[in-house]
Amino acid sequence: MSTTTVPHPPPPPPQPAKDSNRNTAAMKSLPPSVFTLPQTAQLEALYTIIRDKNTSRGDFLFYSDRIIRLLVEEGLNHLPVVDKTVETPTGATYHGVGFEGKICGVSILRAGEAMEAGLREVCRSVRIGKILIQRDEETTLPKLFYSKFPPDIASRYVLLLDPMLATGGSAMKAVEVLMEQGVPEERIIFINLIASPEGLSTFCSKYPSLKVITGWIDQGLNEKAYIIPGLGDFGERRQVVPQPFISCKH
Amino acid sequence: MPDELVSESQFDLLEDGEGIEVLVKHNRQEPALLLHSHSDNSKNTVLISHGRPPWYGPDGQRTDDAFVIGVAGGSASGKTHVARQIVQKLGSIPTVIILSQDSFYKYHNEEELALAHANLLDFDHPDALDLPMFASCLADLKACKQSNIPVYSFAEHQRLDETKYLYGATIIIAEGIMALVDPALRALYDLKIFVQCDSDLMLARRIKRDLQERGRDVTGVLDQYLRYVKPSYDNFVRPTATHADIIVPGSNNSVAIDLICNHVRKQLKERANRFRQKMADPHRYLPLQAEPASENIVERLDLTILPNTRQVEGIFTILRDHTTSRQDFVFFTDRLATLLVEHALQHLPYAPKVVTTPVGVDCTGTQVDLKVPKFDNKKNASDVEADSTCATVSLRRQNHALVSRITFASKLITDTYTTDSLSGGALERGFKRVVNDAPLGSLLIQSDSKSGEPMLLQVMLPECIRLRDRAEQSWVVLLDAQIGTGAAAFMAIRILLDHGVKEERIIFVAFLVARTGGISVLKKAFPRVKIVCGAVDDHMKEGWLEGYKGEGNPEGKRTKVWVMQPGMGQISKKQCYAFDAVDFMLLFLQVIGTTYKG
Repeated sequence: MSTTTVPHPPPPPPQPAKDSNRNTAAMKSLPPSVFTLPQTAQLEALYTIIRDKNTSRGDFLFYSDRIIRLLVEEGLNHLPVVDKTVETPTGATYHGVGFEGKICGVSILRAGEAMEAGLREVCRSVRIGKILIQRDEETTLPKLFYSKFPPDIASRYVLLLDPMLATGGSAMKAVEVLMEQGVPEERIIFINLIASPEGLSTFCSKYPSLKVITGWIDQGLNEKAYIIPGLGDFGERRQVVPQPFISCKH
Repeated sequence: MPDELVSESQFDLLEDGEGIEVLVKHNRQEPALLLHSHSDNSKNTVLISHGRPPWYGPDGQRTDDAFVIGVAGGSASGKTHVARQIVQKLGSIPTVIILSQDSFYKYHNEEELALAHANLLDFDHPDALDLPMFASCLADLKACKQSNIPVYSFAEHQRLDETKYLYGATIIIAEGIMALVDPALRALYDLKIFVQCDSDLMLARRIKRDLQERGRDVTGVLDQYLRYVKPSYDNFVRPTATHADIIVPGSNNSVAIDLICNHVRKQLKERANRFRQKMADPHRYLPLQAEPASENIVERLDLTILPNTRQVEGIFTILRDHTTSRQDFVFFTDRLATLLVEHALQHLPYAPKVVTTPVGVDCTGTQVDLKVPKFDNKKNASDVEADSTCATVSLRRQNHALVSRITFASKLITDTYTTDSLSGGALERGFKRVVNDAPLGSLLIQSDSKSGEPMLLQVMLPECIRLRDRAEQSWVVLLDAQIGTGAAAFMAIRILLDHGVKEERIIFVAFLVARTGGISVLKKAFPRVKIVCGAVDDHMKEGWLEGYKGEGNPEGKRTKVWVMQPGMGQISKKQCYAFDAVDFMLLFLQVIGTTYKG
């Protein structure tokens, strides 16, 4: 029909994210253990929605879940696979790969808990542990309040979940706790949505062989140690209902 | 469940009393509609359809128009009866639309409305009808485009705001007293019929009908007859008999009907023969051995392939394994579908947007920008307004408001003829995880078991595609499990183009593409359609792909569709429930619940 006779430019290729929005300085000097999602305009659009303070809770949930899913998929790509040959329903053989190694998720409460659903969507029967770390009001240092892990955590790969990497204090404390449980550093994969360059460099210099999967590297921290531009308090915006054991602590 | 879907189709018999009828004889061995049990002879005619065969060639262009018959004649001369007789006699024609001029009475202002209610408005004058709109709707339908025709209410004597969506007819019968008056209309007919009837007989029938069906009194009917109907017949209607190809008596006309049907059948057969020769069944043009599978082909095909990460490869291994349980199969198809759709949406245009974060910092990000595409959208929109006289003004305004945020998808369901698996449905849940605000539609395309041709059985499209001016601004994501012969994909794309969707705004998402299958013909015909797939297969020697090719294989060897076969049929049955949000959640929880024993 006539639709083909009208000259049109070809469809746009996947647009990259805008340079002004990417922390190119930090991206260039990334430690080798840090991996980011492909910085496309689409990912940028997802972040734009969840950064917007006017975004409704429903949209925040939906779009942050989309990012979390992508992050978990990326994290899983760092797990080992083995060659596997299967027979297809028509009797042919197919040389593929099989997943190797058991995994578990560990969420840093409370905000990390919001990422569990996304993890479960990708890894159905995944075991999940929890760590509650809060800032000690006296020493201003992160302090472990609560932890619960699968008993065989030492033999598993651990996906450590925390949406925001600001100063890196609680994340480093969480890794410390995990290593006390016998999990080797290189078997931990730390997944977060937004990281600050400061937090990343502190974290990676302390744990150089621990892989960090981050969706976006932001400009930096403000004087209150909030990530700029950031997205506010992730857990609060998802309105995670406090678990009973949190309220009975102290 | 599929049966229910079919019965909800807009293609069912719509006898709404306003003169439009869409008759589709239904698909798949099920006994179809009873056609006009009140017609005098051979009641309860069961008509079985085989779907609509391709109406386009391998280059993707339309090969033939629909066959249009114009039926004119005096009021109560028996035009409708003749039209129905033709439909009945023709037998297995996929889709017939009887389009009545009654739908095209003009919109009345209040003054006219008062006259109409007092029976003082002349409905039997050509000026009472919106003949240009009649002609443009008919021209759209003839050109195999969709048309949204107006709805006229005799009770209110007014054109209603709603419109009726029509698409995909092989034969269109336009009937009405003025059907042969307008030269523009006459130019569209392939066959012009005038129903000649004695004036006494027409008056007698008219009195009987108006008394019984419209609750009028004899004086009123006669008054109207003498004032409008009779002069109109003498001045406008009867002279048009000279334009007719054939003049049919208004009663005892079975011989004439037979003659007409023979002629129509002959015409259609000629077209059908042409169809079969130029049939869009790409695997016939591509013998399997003719093209060696090489890397070059994939590059030339310009496919967007999901990066082959460890996880993606692992997922494919699970999906191909014949020992994989159905539960696992569902889970991993959903996972793969989510990744695929995420990957596909990169092809949407993005534009800058500034937002303020809760920290109080402004941040320039992007947002999906469908409202103002790269090329001159405003010009297109104004063209549409000028052309489409069909859409009412209020609808048009509404469109512009709604188009602002449509990420819109349509689902393609391909039926293999071995099972009634609905394979596109497998991608739907993944799609919903990524896009939560898109209207969904579906197309049901099945391979004919004898000829291997794809057959269009059902079209369920959302409003933003049914309305042409909105379709022209929509992005469409087509979902189908695999592109093998490409025949179903080909037809689906053709349908969207028929509706006015722009080729470069169609994104086709499939798990698998067979490199040596119909993909190259598809790409050649529709080069600007973006095809996003999980993997490209070229292991032609391996049995499963041979079976996979068997989807449209008329010889029926290895008709089982590879890995989709064990799980997909069952999945899609479940998947059907996903149309409903509540059921979707239940289903989802069920999957989690049964597998989280861990």
